[in-house]
Amino acid sequence: MDDRGKVCSSAGGALGLGGLAAALGLCCSVPWAATLLGVTGAVALARLAFLLPYALVGAAALLSYSFWLAYRKPTREDGPDDRRSLRRVVWVASFVVLGFAIVALTKGVSFS
Amino acid sequence: MRFSVALLLFFLSACDWNTPAESAKVSFVSLDDEARQLREEFNRSKGKVRLLFIVDPSCSACLRGLDDMNRDLLAQTRDSRLQTYVVHVPVIGAKAKHVQPAATLLPAENVRHYWNESGKVGWTLSNIFGIKNNKGAVYAWDVWLLFGADADWPSDGAPKAQVIMHQLEELEGTEFPPLDTKVFAQKVHAMLSNTKTLDAGQ
Repeated sequence: MDDRGKVCSSAGGALGLGGLAAALGLCCSVPWAATLLGVTGAVALARLAFLLPYALVGAAALLSYSFWLAYRKPTREDGPDDRRSLRRVVWVASFVVLGFAIVALTKGVSFS
Repeated sequence: MRFSVALLLFFLSACDWNTPAESAKVSFVSLDDEARQLREEFNRSKGKVRLLFIVDPSCSACLRGLDDMNRDLLAQTRDSRLQTYVVHVPVIGAKAKHVQPAATLLPAENVRHYWNESGKVGWTLSNIFGIKNNKGAVYAWDVWLLFGADADWPSDGAPKAQVIMHQLEELEGTEFPPLDTKVFAQKVHAMLSNTKTLDAGQ
C-alpha cells in the first residue's frame, strides 16, 4: 500500500473511532440510542461506554500516524501536489475527530 | 478503517433489534407533578419491601441500570413481599412512547410504571428524598431507592429510604453510593429475610 492508501486508512480509522467515541459519549445525553437501536441496542451501547477513552486514544494514535506519513520526507515518486492533498486529508480528519472528541467529552446533562 | 467498520458491524449484529420482550405490552400510569398516585400506591403496599427507580426511558445508562437490576435482583426474586415502582421522567427528551419498551426490561410481576410528562416530579422527589450535593438539590433521575416494609409516606413528609444509589455525576462524592446492582440486591434480600411473610391475598 502506498502512502496515500495508508493515510486514508489511518485517517478513516481515526474518524471511525472518533465517531464511536462521540456515539458512546452521547448515549446518555440525547435519546437517539433508544430511538435508533431500540432498548436492547441502547443497553448494549451503554455497556460499551467504558471504551470511550480507548477510542479517543486510538483515534489520536491513528491521526499521529497519518501526520507522520503526510509530513515525512517525500519519496522520489511523490510530486508536491500528492503531499499537499494528503496533508489536507489529515487536517480535515483531525478537525472532525476533534469535534467528535469535544462532543464525547462534554456529554453531561446537569439539572442541579 | 477496516477495524472501525468491523467494530460497527459487530456492535450492530450484537443488537437484538426486535426482541419479543420489546413487543410485549406493559401498561403505565400517568403521574402528577406531586407524585400523588405513587404515594397512594406506596402506602397501600405497606408491609412489603419497596423499590423505587427514577429513570429516563430514553437514557442508555438508565436502561442498562434497569437491565442490571432485572438480572441481579428481580428476575431471581419471585417474592410477593417485594414491590417495585419505576418513575419515568423526560430528562433528555424522552416521550411517553419510550416508556413501554423500557418497561419490558423489568418483566417481573409486582412492577408498576409511572410516566410524568412534565418531568417536574423529579424535583418533587428530589426534595422529598433529600437528593442533593454540596451545592444544593439535584434533580432526581437515574436514582435507585430501597424502602423497608414499615416505611410510610405521609402527605407532608417523606418515607425513609434504606438505600439510595445513583448513576449521576452530580452525586459523586456525596453520601449516596453509585449504583451497584449486586450490592443493592444483597440489601433487598437481607431486608426480605427480616420481613414477615404476607398473609394470603395481600
